[in-house]
Amino acid sequence: MHYKLKIFRFHPEQDARPHYQHFELDADPTERVLDVLEQIRGEQDGTLAFRRSCAHGVCGSDAMRINGRNYLACKVLLRDLNAAEITIEPILGLRVVKDLIVDMEPFFDHYKSVLPYLINDDPLPADGRERLQSPEDRERFDDTTKCILCAACTTSCPSFWANGEYVGPAAIVNAHRFIYDSRDQGAEKRLEILNEQMGVWRCRTAFNCTEACPREIKITQAIAEVKRAIHTGKLE
Amino acid sequence: MSALKTTLTGYAGYRGREGHWSFLLHRITGLGTGLFLTIHILDIAFVYLAPNLFMDAIKLYQSTLFGIGEIGLVFCVFFHGVNGLRIAYIDMFKPAAWTITKQRNWTRTTLIIALILWLPATFVMVRNLLIHNFGLFGG
Repeated sequence: MHYKLKIFRFHPEQDARPHYQHFELDADPTERVLDVLEQIRGEQDGTLAFRRSCAHGVCGSDAMRINGRNYLACKVLLRDLNAAEITIEPILGLRVVKDLIVDMEPFFDHYKSVLPYLINDDPLPADGRERLQSPEDRERFDDTTKCILCAACTTSCPSFWANGEYVGPAAIVNAHRFIYDSRDQGAEKRLEILNEQMGVWRCRTAFNCTEACPREIKITQAIAEVKRAIHTGKLE
Repeated sequence: MSALKTTLTGYAGYRGREGHWSFLLHRITGLGTGLFLTIHILDIAFVYLAPNLFMDAIKLYQSTLFGIGEIGLVFCVFFHGVNGLRIAYIDMFKPAAWTITKQRNWTRTTLIIALILWLPATFVMVRNLLIHNFGLFGG
């Protein structure tokens, strides 16, 4: 099938402002958007810049806006877009470094701000090995362990577009992962951080995050659970 | 890109689903209601500060343009109220209902409830407008 692509281009050392470049190619509808981008870079314009790594929806490198919506380029097939004309742009709310590559540092700063690691100062169990937990306790936060930090959720969030200081859905999801971990002891500290002005209360439940998540994490639900934990002071 | 430009680009250009459109409508109806309340506080202040201006304001409110605006205002109040209740209820009491299917259904239902509440009010308001401003139905 014949496809027309309109791709966002910006080279900070050459361009005063971003522009769109048009490409045309033949591709199979079962190919992924990432395949098409690789084809363009390989055959038509080697200067096209975009991130990719595993190309199988695990590393989270290639989140981008495709026909106006956040996707991982490696997880969306051309036929899923139901269009022969495809517009590809960088994710919104982060500074564009070049073409489809954005500066992820602010995103990772927010991630780090919620203490995304196990906090437990108790001595290790007698056998010196792992801290055990029941399957039910593990199940409680299973959904939020799936995050791959691709930023598709955070950059689809209207609150993040309006204010880049907002920690954003991804950071809250990763806080949720530890807040509800029965082995962790840092929940109070994290809830305090998320109760601040740029924390969970900036969520307006627009739901774009949940719709955009390539791992199908129930993000809005996780945010609501954190809000509830702050509000009631209880982890349910 | 400035935050304002990013926000407006996202609002208008992001191809979100029901949640995105519901969020935008909630914002617009909130702004509409807020604008009305501001004007209303000002015109009521005229009762004490400048009674003549108050009478002028009342005359202005009886114009056709304001009559149409009032019909929009009633929709703003109904949608903003019903949608606000939906969000508050799910967020505070039923976080597990924030699933894609349920959220899409609840959002559509919210719009339908707001329209059901709005239509009878619209009927009365349009009728009044036709009677008082256009002399129809024996007005």
